[in-house]
Amino acid sequence: MSRSSQTPDATRADRARPRIHVAGIGSAGPTIEDPRSIPEMVLEAVEHAIDDAGVNMRAVDAVVTASVDLFDGLTASSIAVTEVVGAVMKPETRMAGDALCAVTHAACQLWGGVYGTVLVVAHGKPSMADHDALTAWAMDPIHLQPLGVSFRVCAGLVAQRLSEEDPGAPNRWAGLAAAHRSAAGEACSRQDVRDSPMVASPITRAMCAPLADAAYAVVLRRTDREDDARGAALRSGEPRRRRGDRRVYLSGVGHDLAPHSLGERDPTQWEGLRRACARAYAHAGVDSAAAFDLLEPSCAYAHEQDQFVAAVEPRPDALLSPDGGLFGGTAPITAGLSRLVAATRRMRAQPALKRALAHGTWGPAGQGQAVAVLEASS
Amino acid sequence: MRPVAVIGTGQTRHARRRDDVSQPELVREAAVAALRDAGVRGADVEAVLISNMELFEGRALPELWVGDAAFASGKPCMKVSTGGTSGTSACIAGFHQVAAGLCDLLLVVGYEKHSEGHTQTGMALTDPFWDRAVASGALGNFALSVSQYAAERGVTEAQAAMVAVKARRNAVRNPHAHLQMPDITVDEVLASKMLAHPLRLLDMCPQSDGACAIVIASEDRARKLCPRPAWIKAAVTRHDQPYLGDLDRRLASMRTLRDAARVAYGLAGIDEPLRQLDVAEIYEPVTYAELAWYEALGFCPDGEAGRLIEDGVTSMTGELPVNPSGGVLSTNPVGASGVIRVAEAAAQIHGRAGDRQVPGASTALATGYGVYAWADAIVLGAQA
Repeated sequence: MSRSSQTPDATRADRARPRIHVAGIGSAGPTIEDPRSIPEMVLEAVEHAIDDAGVNMRAVDAVVTASVDLFDGLTASSIAVTEVVGAVMKPETRMAGDALCAVTHAACQLWGGVYGTVLVVAHGKPSMADHDALTAWAMDPIHLQPLGVSFRVCAGLVAQRLSEEDPGAPNRWAGLAAAHRSAAGEACSRQDVRDSPMVASPITRAMCAPLADAAYAVVLRRTDREDDARGAALRSGEPRRRRGDRRVYLSGVGHDLAPHSLGERDPTQWEGLRRACARAYAHAGVDSAAAFDLLEPSCAYAHEQDQFVAAVEPRPDALLSPDGGLFGGTAPITAGLSRLVAATRRMRAQPALKRALAHGTWGPAGQGQAVAVLEASS
Repeated sequence: MRPVAVIGTGQTRHARRRDDVSQPELVREAAVAALRDAGVRGADVEAVLISNMELFEGRALPELWVGDAAFASGKPCMKVSTGGTSGTSACIAGFHQVAAGLCDLLLVVGYEKHSEGHTQTGMALTDPFWDRAVASGALGNFALSVSQYAAERGVTEAQAAMVAVKARRNAVRNPHAHLQMPDITVDEVLASKMLAHPLRLLDMCPQSDGACAIVIASEDRARKLCPRPAWIKAAVTRHDQPYLGDLDRRLASMRTLRDAARVAYGLAGIDEPLRQLDVAEIYEPVTYAELAWYEALGFCPDGEAGRLIEDGVTSMTGELPVNPSGGVLSTNPVGASGVIRVAEAAAQIHGRAGDRQVPGASTALATGYGVYAWADAIVLGAQA
């Protein structure tokens, strides 16, 4: 910590802050019911990310993981992955919240000059349990949990409120869900969505992003240390990407926690997302959402896209969840990192895309919000 | 990296049961005390980190519920959870956020309310295929490792009992401490109930309800707000194999703490820890572990920890007072225990440690311990 010669006098809006390269990305799933164990899924994601970054595990200085004990049914659930993320005799920290919180922590380790390469990993395996029932244990146990309130119930209350103001909204959400499911490869019509079972009026089952088992891994590297002697010596071979492929950088992060009780905030308005964006924009030197060509929101319910758009106000021509977002399958806690991986993948492939926003959320009715600003260059 | 300092600390009254408060109220009690100590208001806090082992209370994502009590509403807030090291790891995460320039004033709050859950169950949910059948909470696996350590190093039951006596008598000077046992003796420890050989009841830490908070500031804010900031000189984490059977002579080697301390000392310019450290607050879940940590932390060569405690080197009047607060052996709200170590170390440098103050303390060590062999080592100093 006392390497005083590194990055002295950095300030909050310091544009000279070292750049962070999203050097490697990897994933396992999403799969509705993956028969493998958590470590097996995580190992696959990590191996892909390490391979993609063109390094080996010895180049990783620290690991940040994201998982939630109660959802996994495991004590200190990062114990399950310590070996496969390569954290034996290394620093590892677990963030118990959306995985973009883990990205934020990793970014701080890199910006602060403590480490040069950090691996971020998140996993979720909702097939092991009734996830919605478990979310009831995240609600205020005195005033809310005894009423049977879960995250899905909260989503239903929000959708109900939105549909009171806009009676046509549920039909539109059905169209959105059908479009996202189709983009993710599932043949699905608006009528299919409307006809699916009601789970929390007016939300039907097909308006919910399908829960799936998944793991994601990302290698983040400070560009000023990327080509140091050690990194060069440890390269395990040619990176999977071709030389000259576009590089994607993490240039800003922001997160926020709104009040818990639904009565203490208007849960139809994602004010916390506005605040998180403002923080991330300040880091990244971005004025507004007009700067983004691509947005990858974590909308687990179709109506949440309305809330995301209202809070962020993206450009009308910007790409929004072009691959269907979470409707291709989502594992709780991993969502934000899955969006960062999806955005990075697309930015590498499409030269027209200069800047993207990845989004994650956790808690009831968008209580926790996190965003990451990504920039691409040739 | 920007210099970072701890400028305020606050703790609740720790007890077996705190039926007088809810979990958010417990968090609030510590947060308000820390802010008051730092001379700032809740509105001044820019970001919050929460530390807690959620399975101990049977909750998920508890920061959602207690965040408001920690002045986190409308602010960046996240939770760190790494077993026993949760508290020290949350503090380190806070150091990194401030050092990276994400904010200038950050609050870390660790808490646990064991009385509202079942800790043994919460600790036993390890790997269902390979570990759960043998890893029955802390007691069983410590009994195995302690037996091995004591046999290898020749540590006696009486020497371990001296650690218990030192901790509980130190705790009498600490108004926050859970166990208050001013008249405890070595004979009383040796006569206490055998739980799992060689561990007796008074060799073990208690389960406490409690919370602890620290205020972390950037250099400018620290210099303005605190007459004697506790600067972070080094903060190092090491994790290890997830299975008990894969750890080579766990307590006897404790390679994680050994390596974390080696790196931290290097960063802080410490060559002779026994001489250069003024005070240490180390995470000792059982008496024998404190002796093992003396060796891992370089306070003495391997095999001489028993002599160190017998000679009173680590007592309040010794060369290096260890755990003037009474340590984890006297107070153990797990999610807060690591934060308490950092808070107590910082308070010593602030000169605000009350009756447990080590006169003139200017360099302090705080450590965290979790799971089977995870370790954090943090060095704090009076000079930036």
